[in-house]
Amino acid sequence: MKNASEKIVFTGSGIVCGAGATVSDVWNVLESGETAIGPYSKWDGENWPVKVAAEVKESNRDLVSDRKLHKTISRTDMFGIYAAEQAIADSAVLAYRDGLPEEEQDGFNDRTGLIVGSGGGNYTSNYDYLPLITEAKESLHAFGKELSNQVTPMWLLKNLPNNVLCHVGIRGQLKGTNACITNQCASGIMAVAESASAIWNGEADRIVAAGHDAPFEPEMVYYYHKLGLMSSRAPKPFDRERSGTVFGEGAASVVLEREEEAKERGAGIIGEFLGFGCCSEATGILDLRPDGDGVQRAIEQALNDAELSPSEIGMICAHGNGTPASDLTEAIGIREVFGEAIPPVTGFKWAYGHLIGASGIADLVMTLEALKRQMLPGIATLGEVDPVLGDFPVSNGVSQPKSRNALVICRGFGGMNVVLAVRV
Amino acid sequence: MASKEKRRIAVTGIGMVTPVGNTTEETWDALRAGKSGADQIASFDASGFSTMIGAEVKGFDREAAVPDKKLLKFASRSHAFALAAAAEALADAGIAPTEEDSHRWGLTVGAGMMSVAYDDLKVIHDYATDENGYFDADGILNPDFPGNPVNFCRWQSNAGLGLLTKQFGIRGYATSVHTACASGGQAIGSALKAMRRGQCDRMLAGGFDSMLNPIGISGFCLLGALSTDNDNPAGASRPFDKTRNGFVLGEGAGFLVLEDWDKARERGANIYAELAGDGNSLSCYRITDSPPDGNGPIQAIHQALGDAGVSVEEIDYINAHGTSTQMNDRSECAAMKAVFPDRIHDEIRVSSTKSSMGHLIAAAGAVEAAVCCLAIRDSMAPINANYGEPDPDCDVNLVVGEAKPGRIRAALSNSLGFGGSNSSLVFRNPEEVPA
Repeated sequence: MKNASEKIVFTGSGIVCGAGATVSDVWNVLESGETAIGPYSKWDGENWPVKVAAEVKESNRDLVSDRKLHKTISRTDMFGIYAAEQAIADSAVLAYRDGLPEEEQDGFNDRTGLIVGSGGGNYTSNYDYLPLITEAKESLHAFGKELSNQVTPMWLLKNLPNNVLCHVGIRGQLKGTNACITNQCASGIMAVAESASAIWNGEADRIVAAGHDAPFEPEMVYYYHKLGLMSSRAPKPFDRERSGTVFGEGAASVVLEREEEAKERGAGIIGEFLGFGCCSEATGILDLRPDGDGVQRAIEQALNDAELSPSEIGMICAHGNGTPASDLTEAIGIREVFGEAIPPVTGFKWAYGHLIGASGIADLVMTLEALKRQMLPGIATLGEVDPVLGDFPVSNGVSQPKSRNALVICRGFGGMNVVLAVRV
Repeated sequence: MASKEKRRIAVTGIGMVTPVGNTTEETWDALRAGKSGADQIASFDASGFSTMIGAEVKGFDREAAVPDKKLLKFASRSHAFALAAAAEALADAGIAPTEEDSHRWGLTVGAGMMSVAYDDLKVIHDYATDENGYFDADGILNPDFPGNPVNFCRWQSNAGLGLLTKQFGIRGYATSVHTACASGGQAIGSALKAMRRGQCDRMLAGGFDSMLNPIGISGFCLLGALSTDNDNPAGASRPFDKTRNGFVLGEGAGFLVLEDWDKARERGANIYAELAGDGNSLSCYRITDSPPDGNGPIQAIHQALGDAGVSVEEIDYINAHGTSTQMNDRSECAAMKAVFPDRIHDEIRVSSTKSSMGHLIAAAGAVEAAVCCLAIRDSMAPINANYGEPDPDCDVNLVVGEAKPGRIRAALSNSLGFGGSNSSLVFRNPEEVPA
């Protein structure tokens, strides 16, 4: 799957979520054991069955200083632009470009890619049409006639799923290979996997990968709750009393490049991308296979791609969304690969909620931080591990990774399972 | 990079549901004849909109196309197109995932953006707005609120992926992309890359979309991107014509079956073409406008040719993005002229089949990739319909009047999206592939 002679490294990272707007802020929350999930402010939750979420606290102006953009993009896009530009700044890759002779800069831009995983859209964006429906009094003819008087001409552009791709691209002149992945929960983590693949394939020398989403909105909460997927308090992954997940929102980003070039330009190296696995369980939109088949195969693919044996893995950042079925089948899949020698497992959704399209890439950024610090934050909300899972190595306290290699697992609708193997 | 080292990928199946036909051959016949799929919009009352015309899929029987009733319940209009086109592609290829090899089959799709059906939004309106029509969240907690989780599932960004993998039992690599009008092309490019790196042996790759509904068309009307030639629907999409004034919104789906070349040969499959190269760039110019000098699309075309190991001398047909907007067509011509300065004016045949089908948005690149394969098979370039008045900026060798016969050694398909993503794909005639 890859050209083993060429190492791909992470040279920058960025994150924004309910737990903070820098990697170290979010780390502090993970380490403290105090969840960032709490009462929300987006609407009045008093009558709602779910009254908590992990909202991003930063205002649009905190996230994107260019106020012209505020009118033409959505809040989820602000998260994505902020995290991507944080990762770019952290990597100093564009500062390096700007120091190159001018005649080399165009070529550098053409070899710099950008791959974004996007949540794909929000229900609330369509609510811009609601006053028009009132005005039109049930008549579609009147709806069409009054359209331009009621709704902003920029409506479509404000809601394009690929806005972060477009605007980070324009702002940084990243003109190389690109994609916008709309694969629900797997979107952000797939952006990282596709970025590494594209560099290995010679399509680009460096790629900014980002994932962003803002799933926390009334209709999402309503339907997730109706489907039995929501908890009314911070989720308790792998706990016998787990009852569902809670939404977060935000974005995360990493910069990937060839190790050789990163070293040449004196970049700080955060970690190494080793390989990935990706598969579908072919179970439709919501269903999961009871045997953990997709989790197992995605882990095996990632280990194979990374040329690692299970015993070399020092920790696993699980998807652990806190729903009964997902956590159970995830644990089964992990056990199928590791047998009784499962490395320490953790997950971070108890702290910053489920970021859906950004969840996997946020978990990656924090896993790299955990490896760097050689410290594994536990699942602070964990009371008693579900006995059905057997001897499953999760805890509510801090532990230590067994090695410098980690797996990050991400699962999503569509029976998706994606696993990354990384090293610090 | 030497192309001979790359794993060779064959196109062995094609499926299409388009405004000019509900099957591949029906669509292809119409494109060769330059028949228009545009008309007054029939599926809803569009009489109040600035654009009242569109290229709708006609006479499509959902129930017949998707036999699995449970799956059909979850399928939006565009998902049903996708399931039908994918089934046709697999039947055409004469192969499908089995219990033994389903984990080696993959799927990539270019999926349309999440846009809620007017009727679903009307329900929100009726339960959850104040007297001025402003949203009031508590309204959806009303016990009578008919919110249905099936509708919710339908609008998830990878719902199409979930339905397709289930319908055909695809258990390998699967992804869904959305780069606006470049989505379909990028999906096929992503499939090529996944196969080359050994992640799959066979893949289903394509795109699907339907924005021909009140909310979908509103976004484009507000932007002023659509042709308003409401009294002349069949002539409204006229790519590269000097009087062009916007695109005609279409809908549909297109899928290809991709296979490892040697595996396809071994089983005696009919090979339409080699999917030989993919190019992919970001214009970084403006969100809706294309760069006037073609900077962006130029890089994508060069990359695709380089990836394919095909020279500028070998391209005999270009299926242009050609939306029929002033900016796009001018920018794309600038790019084609920059890459093929010596051959674009008289040797390379160029057409935009959006002149017949309209613009299928996220499905466009996939359907047009399929058109390139058919053009290679039949040595026939389809028509750039409705062309009348030349535009000096668009002085390329357009296929005008009737389809133009002639062998095609290699074909190029361009897709240029809102947001600046450019996708170019190169297909090689199987007779040009060294044995």
